[in-house]
Amino acid sequence: MTAQEICLCGLLLREHFGEVVEKVGTHLLRSGAQNLRTIVHETNLSVDLVKKCLCVLVQHGACSFTVGRKGPGSPTEYHACGERILRVLRYSRYIYTAKTLYGDTGELIIEELLQRGHVTMSSTVKTVADRLTQNMEEGQSLDYSEVSSTFSKLVETHFLQRCPPVGAAGTSGGAAPAEAPATPAAPAAAASTAPPTAESFPECYTLPQVTLTGRGKRQLVPEDGEDQRNAKRAKMTSESHGDEGIYWQVNFERFHQYFRDQAIISAVANKMDQTSSEIVRTILRMSEVTTSPTATCTKPLSTNEIFRSLPASYNIPRHILDQYLTLLVDDPMEFVGKAGESGGGMFVVNLHKALANLARATLESIVQERFGSRSARIFRLLLRKRHLEQKQVEDFAMIPAKEAKDMLYTLLSHNLVQLQEIPKTPDFAPSRTFYLYTVNQLPTARMLLQNCYKTVANLIERRLFETKENKRLLEKSQRIEAILASLQASGAEPEQLSEVEEMISAPEKQQLDVLRLHVNKLDSAENQVDETIFILESYISSTSAS
Amino acid sequence: MAGRGRRTMSFSVDSVGISRGETLPPAVQQPTPVFPVMEQKPLPLTGGEEAEYLTALKQDFRGAMRGLPCFIQPAAAHRDVERYSDKYHLSEKKDGLTDWIIGERSNLSISEQSNQNTHQRFPCRPTGGALPRQQTLHRLHMAGGRVTLEKKEEQESSEEEGEEKKKQKEEEAEAEEEYDEEEFEEETDYIMSYFDNGEDFGGDSDDNMDEAIY
Repeated sequence: MTAQEICLCGLLLREHFGEVVEKVGTHLLRSGAQNLRTIVHETNLSVDLVKKCLCVLVQHGACSFTVGRKGPGSPTEYHACGERILRVLRYSRYIYTAKTLYGDTGELIIEELLQRGHVTMSSTVKTVADRLTQNMEEGQSLDYSEVSSTFSKLVETHFLQRCPPVGAAGTSGGAAPAEAPATPAAPAAAASTAPPTAESFPECYTLPQVTLTGRGKRQLVPEDGEDQRNAKRAKMTSESHGDEGIYWQVNFERFHQYFRDQAIISAVANKMDQTSSEIVRTILRMSEVTTSPTATCTKPLSTNEIFRSLPASYNIPRHILDQYLTLLVDDPMEFVGKAGESGGGMFVVNLHKALANLARATLESIVQERFGSRSARIFRLLLRKRHLEQKQVEDFAMIPAKEAKDMLYTLLSHNLVQLQEIPKTPDFAPSRTFYLYTVNQLPTARMLLQNCYKTVANLIERRLFETKENKRLLEKSQRIEAILASLQASGAEPEQLSEVEEMISAPEKQQLDVLRLHVNKLDSAENQVDETIFILESYISSTSAS
Repeated sequence: MAGRGRRTMSFSVDSVGISRGETLPPAVQQPTPVFPVMEQKPLPLTGGEEAEYLTALKQDFRGAMRGLPCFIQPAAAHRDVERYSDKYHLSEKKDGLTDWIIGERSNLSISEQSNQNTHQRFPCRPTGGALPRQQTLHRLHMAGGRVTLEKKEEQESSEEEGEEKKKQKEEEAEAEEEYDEEEFEEETDYIMSYFDNGEDFGGDSDDNMDEAIY
């Protein structure tokens, strides 16, 4: 992992899990796989704290453990996964997607799973039902079966998956959960040579048989007498729902597939029109489950199938559909390709090409916004023509020589453009060498991705700084809000309320508003940079897979 | 490097665009400024409902994470004097390690499990006092008493080093299992407000001292 990535991971861990987890996590990221004793020794924390931190990290999938490198019998080693920690940036996007697809219930289920890492289905359903019941009116409550059905829909569409077992050989029933990692002499872990991925577990999308009947409960204001008796009674009854030990986690890859599809559809809509984007959306929807995440293109679909699956509102005749498909195939962006002639024409969506085009558009837009449209013209030229001499750049870009030279040197100093030397003679004499300017898309994308990580880290640091500066003011306003709330709950008069409100003066209120504005801006900026990070990361991983 | 005595640059070729005698930009003498002046102003953020909702979700999520047991804070600042009531105070964040550590019931034998049910956590004190190291009883979580190997490890380690204050409570009570912890904490006969040492009394409203408090 690069220094920027580790820095960003540390900040994310600090905000979401506390400083102790940050310390352990960044130490593991920097030094690779280590066993418990080494971590304790090098971080100068107590064994219990380190164990707790490792538990938290494993619970959230950010840390895995394997047999020690000296073979079975040596202490287990822990290995942090930086990529997984960086996903924390995208959590709000996942929750929002679940909301758009499955409503408030889906939103809360995903939020619950993201907050706790690995959860059983029954506890999720209960907590979500209770939370939804809280917000409903008096006397209404949500039945568990509604939440269960949303949960099963999420599992069917692969947005949720089961946590993989550890040590597939030594588990019973194929549904054993991951072990608590702080047990060094774990027999099951020793049996496996490598931790299995979630996908390799054959039952990762099967729902367990769960008996879950009931309705959501509202949290009551505690009254003394009756509650004690209820409490005692509740303590006695232990509820088990038949899914002990079956834990679920969010399937990030599936969400990423969905985001990628959305990006392609909106790109087509921007470049062409709404109908073409609907056609592409139909093709992608039909190939959702048949396409693997790393596939270069979707499975070929015939025009007949596409025609049948178009949404009912788009009542376009068959020949118009053919024309649209031809247009899409002929487009230089190459989002859609033709794979054959049977069935009226077989069409695929070229996923990797689409990602490459999206990444290229991102790079061009970055250069345009930082250096101006003429530098962007030079950049696009070099992307298209690969290698050009100085003179050729000036001619093709139609920019005067001096300015073209300046712009090229600026881009060169920022490492966006590289210089390639082609010697005519083996002694590389300058007068007898060609100097060609070139742009390599993949290394440039990697470099800009690291810039994005650094940007987000800077944004988080700034937000923490701003909050720290105004800590006293924030605490005061929180106290006043608490007083107001308690006064209102106990039915105070308006004079008392206004008196309390006046405790915070007008300039302080203004300062608070400015602070809130800044914090919101910084948060929103983080979300936006994360969108760029997603496109660049998807592009880079698509090139490494192929 | 050019030959001796000749003052030519290593490459002064037109192909890179530097012609003879042209003034080159001045050499850089110091690192670039920390906040350089930008020629192009950056674009404004995309606003809109979706962006605002995402921001709100993000902030809510951060706030919610602070209250969960997986947010680990090191031992809180010590009070000035150790008080007897500290032992019986509820911790703000309940360290429910057991509920969210994936239980390994199948590994424990039946006898171990029944043994575990009677063991409990003990809040081990910071150094500086005589620490009773035995383990007192602590009521277990009602959802089937999920005891893990992790807890067993912790018991052993707490015997070894009782240095930090690790009050191991169970996971926060689920809604249908609300009970007043006050009564059943630490097998005392007194309710928890008995041990309240009055430090929190009247601490909220500092400025409303003109109202008499009875």
